[in-house]
Amino acid sequence: MTVPTTAPLAQPATPLRQSGLSGLPPRPHHAWRTVGIVVALGAFTTLTLMPAIGGIQLDFTALVRNWSNSLPTIRQLLRPDFAFLPRTIAPMAETLEMAVAGAAFAAIVSIPITLWAARPSNPNPFTRQLVRFIININRAVPDLVFAIVLVAMLGVGALPGFVTLFLFDLGVVVKLVSEAIDSSDHDYIEAGRAAGGTQTQINRVTVLPQSWTLYANQWLYSLELNVRISAILGIVGAGGIGRLLDERRGFYAYNDVSIIILEILVAVIVIEFASNALRKKLR
Amino acid sequence: MAEQVPTNTAANFGPSATTPWSIHMTDVSVTYPNGTHALRNVSLSIDAGEIVSIVGLSGSGKSTLIRTINALVPATSGTVIVGGNDVTQMRGRQLRELRGHIGMIFQSFNLADRTSVLNNVLVGRFAHTPTYRTVFGRMTAADKELALRALDSMGMIEKVWLRAGSLSGGQKQRVAIARALTQEPSIMLADEPVASLDPPTAHSVMADLGRINAESNLTVLINIHSVDLARQYANRIIGLREGEVVYDGPAAETTDADFEMIYGRPIQTNDRVGAES
Amino acid sequence: MSARASVKSRYDGYRVMALPTPPSRTRATLVAVAVGIVVLVATGSLNISWTHLGDVPARVAKYLGLMFSSPNWDKFPRALTETWRSISMAWLGAVGCVFIATPLGMLAARGVGPAWLRFILRRIFAVIRAIPEVILALLLLTVTGLTPLTGALALGIAGIGTQGKWVYETIESAQVGAAEAVLAAGGNTAEVTRWALWPAVAPALMSFALYRFEINIRTSAVLGLVGAGGIGSMLANYTNYRQWDTVGMLLIVVVVITMIFDVISGAIRRRIMAGATTRANISDVD
Repeated sequence: MTVPTTAPLAQPATPLRQSGLSGLPPRPHHAWRTVGIVVALGAFTTLTLMPAIGGIQLDFTALVRNWSNSLPTIRQLLRPDFAFLPRTIAPMAETLEMAVAGAAFAAIVSIPITLWAARPSNPNPFTRQLVRFIININRAVPDLVFAIVLVAMLGVGALPGFVTLFLFDLGVVVKLVSEAIDSSDHDYIEAGRAAGGTQTQINRVTVLPQSWTLYANQWLYSLELNVRISAILGIVGAGGIGRLLDERRGFYAYNDVSIIILEILVAVIVIEFASNALRKKLR
Repeated sequence: MAEQVPTNTAANFGPSATTPWSIHMTDVSVTYPNGTHALRNVSLSIDAGEIVSIVGLSGSGKSTLIRTINALVPATSGTVIVGGNDVTQMRGRQLRELRGHIGMIFQSFNLADRTSVLNNVLVGRFAHTPTYRTVFGRMTAADKELALRALDSMGMIEKVWLRAGSLSGGQKQRVAIARALTQEPSIMLADEPVASLDPPTAHSVMADLGRINAESNLTVLINIHSVDLARQYANRIIGLREGEVVYDGPAAETTDADFEMIYGRPIQTNDRVGAES
Repeated sequence: MSARASVKSRYDGYRVMALPTPPSRTRATLVAVAVGIVVLVATGSLNISWTHLGDVPARVAKYLGLMFSSPNWDKFPRALTETWRSISMAWLGAVGCVFIATPLGMLAARGVGPAWLRFILRRIFAVIRAIPEVILALLLLTVTGLTPLTGALALGIAGIGTQGKWVYETIESAQVGAAEAVLAAGGNTAEVTRWALWPAVAPALMSFALYRFEINIRTSAVLGLVGAGGIGSMLANYTNYRQWDTVGMLLIVVVVITMIFDVISGAIRRRIMAGATTRANISDVD
């Protein structure tokens, strides 16, 4: 019995490949480049896995062993101790106070520094590049590194935490706002110059009003970042709830650790919501 | 739709507080850093109180020419003497003071859209105000009064507190003119002031410039590429082509053929704005 | 206007003008006052002696002098090894993070995964994102011990939240036209992903992956500070011992390495995005 087959689809009369197209441009060859990239990535990864030069030992068996040893810890972490809450209020308040104060002071100082860093408001390339260079160096230092060095300089407490947040926020705001100013149009500056104004006059009366929303956006963002960062500054002694967290961890009191982390989560989420809502209204 | 032309105009202008200035350019050349020769050996004399149209294609050097007068573009060689002052030698504070006497309006209005009309007009007082006053927002009552009167003379007083960005093109240009008038200038420069405006609005803004010239005797220089507006609102026409002056004569006697010589091509429809609506 | 009485203005003999009423500033003032109060309360409650704040720059300057006037380069070779350890942490963490977050993020994108899966995945991303990376790392390190490997693990897991979000946002903002074309030709979800989505989003995803590596380099130094090894550990040790000349050298190393990687990474990312547009132009059939 013959199996019914569907009729084959009609084939084109002359397959393209055989018709000898002369105008076909050569196909660009990306193959070599792709191979090169893959080889480079592989080599880089191999280098990172060599402990001799500082790479990392891939020892997963130790990892698995540690995991199974820490089931009690995990169980404790999953049972936050709400009775511990009252002891966390004062440090948490300090965390939030540092966040607000740091963001506020950085906001004020960021106004003139941003104007120095942006081309429309600072036509002088030397001072502008100098400010940008210093800000770039500022941004290259991670937040906790600032904190640990400042604690060693200024002692334990909220002061190094406040200064850390201030410096960190300054870096974030100045970079982002000055880039935003650079990438928008500023025709009115020519009018200010034609009327005989100084750069300061032009900046104060025209550039600043045009940039308020840019600033406000980044100030709110820096407040958000601050709450996250100030929660951990205490780990190195710079004030806030981090110190309590580290202390409880040192005593293996993971129930307490758990409640502290929950608190931090709540604070971060609340600030994020508030900040997003405010930023939408700014648009 | 025609814009509201300010009424009762004769009462809006009294005798000028400052005397109008003349402009003398001698052998002025401008070469940009990228090598473009924007102006070549331009020599002109404009008497105080004249109203002059400068015409030419884009790239003919009109924008450069008008900007050498207040040194927004520095002249590479030659001298520009404005009201007896040699602009080419001036720097810093002297230059700013001089610019305070020269009002300028632009094709794209150059207003700060996010701030109020009043603040935009007060820009005109920059050269006459010490920096600290501006920074702390303490402009004198006299300055504010000047700004308000200038706005009113252009019929824009109801918009004084509004954001500049909420105005139409014609309204913005009027605010810009008010800004220039607030300087109590001796010269008014206009770089393609009506190129972004529709025909009726263009006519009324040009009429404003003409009126300012007639009633205050202010020297007015207008860069314009529209043939009919150039002839209708100015007394004298100067034509530029490729950075050189190729025509200089009374507006009444300038023919279409003269324009074709200036442009180096026959006149096209978009060289004319047309009648008011 | 008495000073101007002798000078005739063009507006002399002018009629009185009708000035409209200025807009009400009460709402803006109230907001400003509220913000001001919050800031003052926060600042005042802080346990900082604000009067002595003026001393801070002088003290900091003194230490800056100790650190940078003659940095101690003897320990530089070890600093380099530790730096490579931190970079390895950052790299492996980024690789792991990208391998996990990219497929998960794709599934979390509208048009790829089913609604219930998208919901769950996005919640997981959000929770991971809300936890500060250092705390996540501390938790992991508590359980798994303090080694560079666990540091890499911590970086990998902590990054999934943000990376996943970037992935699904990129996919959702890509042009839908190509996907539609594949569906119209009879393709299934996998084919849509391979032929329509992937070419469009690959450059952006690679750019984000590189950016994750950039971020990780900074965070790896921080993890070192809490004990995971690398340049951060070295920095923490020497800071605790107050050996300022070595601290100065280490800070220079951290800053220079970070800036070098930022520049290289930025340049590569720009080339990726620029290359994407040229390739798109070349393959446009006309």
